[in-house]
Amino acid sequence: MGEEVKKSRPAPDPNSAKFKLGKIAADAYTDAIAAKERGELVGWCASNFPVEIPETLGLYVCYPENQAAGIAARGGGVRLCNEAESEGYSNDICAYARISLAYLKVKDAPEQNMPQPDFVLCCNNICNCMIKWYENIAIERNIPMYLIDIPYNPDYEVSDAEVEYVREQFWDVIHSLEEYTGKKWSDEKFKEVMEYSGKASRMWIEATSQAKYIPSPFNGFDLLNHMAVMVTARGKKEAGEAMEQLLKEYKENHENGTSTFRGEEKYRIMFEGIACWPWLRVTSTGLKSRGINMVTTIYADAFGFIYDDFDGMCRAYANVPNSMNLEQSRDKRIKLCKDNHVEGLLVHTNRSCKLWSGFMPEMSRQIGEACGIPVVSFDGDQADARNFSEAQYDTRVQGLMELMEANKAGKEDK
Amino acid sequence: MAVKELFAQLHEIAENPRAQLDKYLAQGKKVVAVAPIYTPEEIIHSMGIVPMGVWGADLELNEAKKYFPAFISAIVQSILECGIRGDYKGVSALVVPSLCDNLMVLGQNWKYAVPDIPYVPMSYPQNRKPAYGKKFCKASYERVINDLTIATGCKYSHPALRESIKIYNEHNAVMREFAELASEAKISAVERHDVFKSAWFMLKEEHTAIVKQINEELKNGPKADETARVYVSGVLADAPQLLKVFDDNGVKIVFDDVAAESRQYRTDCPEDFQDPIDGMAQKWANMDNCSFLYDRDKKRVGMIVEQAKAHKAQGVIVLMTKFSDTEEFDFVPIKRACEKEGIQILNIEVDRQMVNYEQASTMIQAFKEMI
Amino acid sequence: MYTLGIDIGSTTSKAVILNENKEIVAQSIVVATVGTNGVSKAIENVMTESGLTMDDMACSTATGYGRQTYDGATYQVSELSCHAIGVHHVFPDARTVIDIGGQDAKVLSINDSGKMSNFIMNDKCAAGTGRFLDVMANILQLDISELEVEAAKAEDAVSISSTCTVFAESEVISQLANGIPIPELVKGICESVAIRVASQARRGGIREEVVMSGGVARNAGVRNAMEKELGVTIRYSELSQLMGALGAALYGLNKINA
Repeated sequence: MGEEVKKSRPAPDPNSAKFKLGKIAADAYTDAIAAKERGELVGWCASNFPVEIPETLGLYVCYPENQAAGIAARGGGVRLCNEAESEGYSNDICAYARISLAYLKVKDAPEQNMPQPDFVLCCNNICNCMIKWYENIAIERNIPMYLIDIPYNPDYEVSDAEVEYVREQFWDVIHSLEEYTGKKWSDEKFKEVMEYSGKASRMWIEATSQAKYIPSPFNGFDLLNHMAVMVTARGKKEAGEAMEQLLKEYKENHENGTSTFRGEEKYRIMFEGIACWPWLRVTSTGLKSRGINMVTTIYADAFGFIYDDFDGMCRAYANVPNSMNLEQSRDKRIKLCKDNHVEGLLVHTNRSCKLWSGFMPEMSRQIGEACGIPVVSFDGDQADARNFSEAQYDTRVQGLMELMEANKAGKEDK
Repeated sequence: MAVKELFAQLHEIAENPRAQLDKYLAQGKKVVAVAPIYTPEEIIHSMGIVPMGVWGADLELNEAKKYFPAFISAIVQSILECGIRGDYKGVSALVVPSLCDNLMVLGQNWKYAVPDIPYVPMSYPQNRKPAYGKKFCKASYERVINDLTIATGCKYSHPALRESIKIYNEHNAVMREFAELASEAKISAVERHDVFKSAWFMLKEEHTAIVKQINEELKNGPKADETARVYVSGVLADAPQLLKVFDDNGVKIVFDDVAAESRQYRTDCPEDFQDPIDGMAQKWANMDNCSFLYDRDKKRVGMIVEQAKAHKAQGVIVLMTKFSDTEEFDFVPIKRACEKEGIQILNIEVDRQMVNYEQASTMIQAFKEMI
Repeated sequence: MYTLGIDIGSTTSKAVILNENKEIVAQSIVVATVGTNGVSKAIENVMTESGLTMDDMACSTATGYGRQTYDGATYQVSELSCHAIGVHHVFPDARTVIDIGGQDAKVLSINDSGKMSNFIMNDKCAAGTGRFLDVMANILQLDISELEVEAAKAEDAVSISSTCTVFAESEVISQLANGIPIPELVKGICESVAIRVASQARRGGIREEVVMSGGVARNAGVRNAMEKELGVTIRYSELSQLMGALGAALYGLNKINA
């Protein structure tokens, strides 16, 4: 290739949501690295562990799921998966866990480094696999493990017995952490964190709900990136501010008739499942090139932790998407589809996630019927690039598009 | 009765759960299916219901594929397949515990795939030992009682539960004794398995009576003469062809950490609680040494090494149920511990659609040649 | 005194006759799947070549996937042990053996006294086995023996990331459609097998010398990729495909001498 003239990108606007959110996500890592260097204890924390606890106690934590996604998105997933498999881990195990357990051993991944853990904070409200993964970290490093066990809720509502069980564990973990780290719980600080988390959550939900407009003021793939902040920093003041900015921008986009989705929005779909991080560009291009905008995902709802008091917080953490029964999961998605005028459902059958994918065929059938939209699934993986076929994806997406097209034509005929 | 006849009797039952189900139904009893790994069987039994274990079957998956993606454990997939096929017709409910991701999705799919058999969830706490864990456990048991009362019309009472706890504790003791005796006695892998498997399809008092006789026979019977002694771990060691590979190669299973076998009988329910449901919650709190039970210290790993040594096993064979990630995570620490102790370890992947045991056979034969 | 070793593999049958000095008197490889008359053909070949008959054999030992259905042998031993024995005979310093066969990939550890001390076999999927290479060669309309030649022509390898055989198939087809030259694809396929087996090999622990045996060992493309992946020199012999049969004949000889 000859002299390629690089397009000079404009310097990012430091007041933009994208810049702010990117900085918060990056700071989470650099802050933890700096803390470790100062000799402070650093924990590894599950994504849906109540962030209010470490935040109120002033503990530094890193998020292995977030790290694994980052490593996978930057092409290091297979290398680390191979490393874990050489240790004897089956390649059927969740790829986030394999990457993380491999990282524990190799201690270096240029794609995304983070400090080694002094303790782990585990919560199984997203899957039971979390317990096994964190047990192995804890035993490998010989460090304390704090588990908040939130059993899968088979009912539509969270029972009082479960709320009580969760609440007691919260306090138990708080007291154990106070003892281990020497940091103190303060109700005042908790109230503050609760407000920050509440604000970030409200702003996030409102920002994502701007997809109700046609065309949507944003490309849904944006959410997959911005979500990192909701995972790692929702209890921080800056998170709420950045989300507020995001909402403002989306509203402006709508008013100005612009969008972060480039090109004409011909079709609107909901994407189901964790992103296929190693194939993010391929999965995104496959949609964009056909004028398909992914306007919503359950993530739009997943990280909205809105509550008024401690018990409310317990209830909220017992009611995250992966701990809900099929009926509630279905109804939440039907609402997202209807609110956002979704015309098709694209399901990622994610080999790494048994819980999320295990009843997806039945649930997506029910969603498809309730909303009168076509449902198409493809095989993939959140972090192991080997479990995806570009050709299969492309054919399936095209099939979905043709079904949506036929639906539109049918409606016009009437 | 001669020991061979007793084994034959249990073999018949182990191979024909449907006949057992029909027998109990003909007696006018209610039957409730219990899914892996643990369920409060004592409670179900105390309500006058026969609990029968369902661990799937070796069969081709057709209907279940409509509900599950390929990477869900074959045990869970085949339970659903059997349910859809009508193999459990006559059963009043299916109790499914919340102990792994495979089981959680089984419950959700069951509601739609087998609507005529109600799904009864049992939510166990993983923080089992603190008072709040026991309290939640009790609430979950009460929910099971409530659901079963609706499904069967059978009633619960404290005195009946006290009685059933005694029956189960006695059965546990008899099964533990059997496992120890089988370690030294002349008994095939298939026969050993039949004793464990038949327990899932019988009222425990009936099973206890037969196993007691077997134990007496084993005490006085011939001693094992196999040269290769192995300890087996895994969720299931169920396939007859696979067990035959052990027998054909003269490899003796001296003890096990199999979820469907010895893991069931390790912990008794305390009998001295005012409210026997509290006793049941205490039993849950006392349970350990299992991949499905949260354990920061992985006590199970040390237990496997100790039990293997205590029973003079020369090697550990893990029969890894493919896609049981709970077990797959534990394999690495088990492997390391065995290697550290100089115990040979072999991992054989199994599922419920194996038509060909060639590779397993080669591995077991080579393992014997090596140890 | 002579002993016969027979290795009944999934795609080939091999036979070796040894004399009491552990020298190979005759050898044969017959391409035929299990269950066909490949075994008899291989035995017939070695008898003809040596001018001996079955009656001259002190004993015979069968190994390989078809060993259990073949009832003409005195002994029956797993191919894992036989490969270890065969390789140890040819390479006394070998401590790790990587054998990629038609249906499975095995990694064997040999201790200082020449005994197999550990082994790891592939899991249920076909990636990283000879079968994977067969499927890929088929798509490219190449003979399996041509893979080596093609791989040698390539400077760079195109990465084949899928390990699922079905996915890899579609990946290779779309790369073909993208106009990627066949040698680069072949090199990528060889690397994919090597990466997969290397991670299995690390599970068992790598001690030098490392020797490759089995039919796939002849494929320099896979061998080189494996060296690169493991960072060790990999030795191999022209006898690589016969290691199982050789080990079986040696097993019989040891039995008689014992």
